[in-house]
Amino acid sequence: MKALGIDIGSLTTKALVLDDGKVLASTVISSADDAESSAWAAMEAVLKQAALSPNEDLYIVSTGVGGKSIAFSRQPKAITTCLARGVNHLYPSVRMAIDMGAESSTVIKVNQRGRLNDWVNQDKCAAGTGIFLQQMAKLMLTTLEEMSELSFKAKSRADITSTCAVFAESEVISHVHREPPTPKEEIVAGIYFSVVSRIISLCKRIGIEKDVAVVGGVALNRGLVRILEEELGFEVLVPDSPQIVAALGAAIIAQENMEKGF
Amino acid sequence: MTTSEKPGGKISAIVRACRLISRMNQANPEVPKSDALYYQMLANYYTRLLNAREEGKFIAAHTVFFPSEILYAMDIVPMHTETTTWMMALFLGEQAEILAAGAELGLAPEICSPHRGLAGAFALGALPRPDVMLWSNLICDNTAKSGELIMELNDCPGFFLDHPFQRSEAEEKYLISELEDMISFLEEKSGQKMDWDKLSEIVAGMDRQMELFREIGELRKAVPSPFHIRGFLQLLTTDYLCPGQPEATEYLQALRDELAEMVRQGKGAVSPERFRLMTLFVPPMYLMGFLEKMSQEYGAVSVVEPLFTRWAEGRLDPSKPLASVAKKASLIPERRSMYGPLGEEALKDITTCAEQYRVDGAVYWAFMGCRHTCATIRLFKDILNEIDVPMLVIDCDIVDPTINPQEEIREKLEQFFELLEDR
Repeated sequence: MKALGIDIGSLTTKALVLDDGKVLASTVISSADDAESSAWAAMEAVLKQAALSPNEDLYIVSTGVGGKSIAFSRQPKAITTCLARGVNHLYPSVRMAIDMGAESSTVIKVNQRGRLNDWVNQDKCAAGTGIFLQQMAKLMLTTLEEMSELSFKAKSRADITSTCAVFAESEVISHVHREPPTPKEEIVAGIYFSVVSRIISLCKRIGIEKDVAVVGGVALNRGLVRILEEELGFEVLVPDSPQIVAALGAAIIAQENMEKGF
Repeated sequence: MTTSEKPGGKISAIVRACRLISRMNQANPEVPKSDALYYQMLANYYTRLLNAREEGKFIAAHTVFFPSEILYAMDIVPMHTETTTWMMALFLGEQAEILAAGAELGLAPEICSPHRGLAGAFALGALPRPDVMLWSNLICDNTAKSGELIMELNDCPGFFLDHPFQRSEAEEKYLISELEDMISFLEEKSGQKMDWDKLSEIVAGMDRQMELFREIGELRKAVPSPFHIRGFLQLLTTDYLCPGQPEATEYLQALRDELAEMVRQGKGAVSPERFRLMTLFVPPMYLMGFLEKMSQEYGAVSVVEPLFTRWAEGRLDPSKPLASVAKKASLIPERRSMYGPLGEEALKDITTCAEQYRVDGAVYWAFMGCRHTCATIRLFKDILNEIDVPMLVIDCDIVDPTINPQEEIREKLEQFFELLEDR
């Protein structure tokens, strides 16, 4: 039997299959309208990638926003529990992880055994999330990748002071249209800084503790991670595939359950 | 603002609801005797208020932590404003209407909802018009300011009782002098004299109640713990509404005896008991039924509420009734940790509680209208972290259900139980 972890997010669904502690394959696909279809599609994709039969005997643990509604999952687990396990597997020295997702940001504290010690999340406002960054990229007629590269060229940061995504958008528009316009790279650096400020404020609510890892789709944004490091005052750890950490944690829990005979 | 409501209409509805619950509880042998006594006590309190006008009684509205022992001793009918608003939320589900009326008065959503609600209820004419308004700075700025608005809405006189911030002999003397001034004010306005013998009796009753609160607290240390989550609210309202009253003592004695019997039999409020929780601040009142269900579903029991049900050590002396009323103000659980400087002693008490009650985790209900208590969140989180007790923070409102949906609260609690299980 193989262990499969599925993390259903609002924008993407991630799946990862483990065999005896070894990652056989992982995948990230766009989420469908309903969680069940997303999970099913991610499972089919990851099994194909791992060259496993669709009828493979699997122990499935699901997590994420739709984790509870997957009929074929053996056990739904909270995203925070899965993140803790996944981060600990990748970096045993990490005591705090920042998960920057599409619709929410979560900061967790992890103990030495990879168990969750505390968490805090920002899920009331789009400011500080991946969707906010997507909106900003659209507004500035650029892509997320280009935005990231631009931020490295900034000599200073434009002031984006609003704590609300809608008002922040107005501020960006006024920077673009003022005479002379604020350089694009400075606007981008300002946007990143506003996101980072919210993240650091979340971290401080539960106490910053090193080592720190950054995971979730937004962790792929090198420019934003650099500003986060500047503000934290130390380097953070970013896995090669930061989006699949919760799915990895879910698969680890699935494997633990198999070993315990659950 | 129109006052279309029949005066006392909502009070009448609360009385009917309490009587009905009390009768149902009496008829059901499965329900503990204390439950019926509690609802009977509530019904009696609100019946006295409902009939006060007809019986020619003097009505004094007062805010939380006001020493209503003095009102009982003067045969004045008390109306606890915040609790009455909670009761409307709990029994009648009419939060939306009274909060909207509060908003119409210009009260912003950031203001404490029980105070917004009570102002709205007065503006609607849903509460009987008081003859006087009594209020104090214990326990917050909302309480301190609320009285002025209620005086204005009811066009009635009022008295502000100034509670000293620190605790010393001089400050206790100051509080006694404030109480004396208030008694003079009430005597003048009501034409009724203070009955000092009656006040001594009430103080003796209050002293007995404080002992019962402490005994109940001790019984809750048992594993499994015998106390249901809904009991938290019952303990609070007993002191808020009926301090030193025989019916409150009768209820607390019955509750104490039932808990003692459960402990003797090794029975818990939930079975099996999986998580022992410390409750910090107050959960949403309107979700008590939901929280009781979750408690049963997950085997999670609240064993201690250090900020609300843990009375400080100290006795009252019926031979010095006024000094005892003043002393009680320094012994109430809320005063020790939520009013005045939050010292090392109050912080130490949180960890002592966690250890004595063998707590697995703490839940802090971060009531957005109560900013001065929310300032303690990080302090409590850190000291509990030192003894390896995780603390969950849930943003909420005590009576306004629009702040945080029930499903969101369920999700956070489930996540927390998963964290506790996984450790």
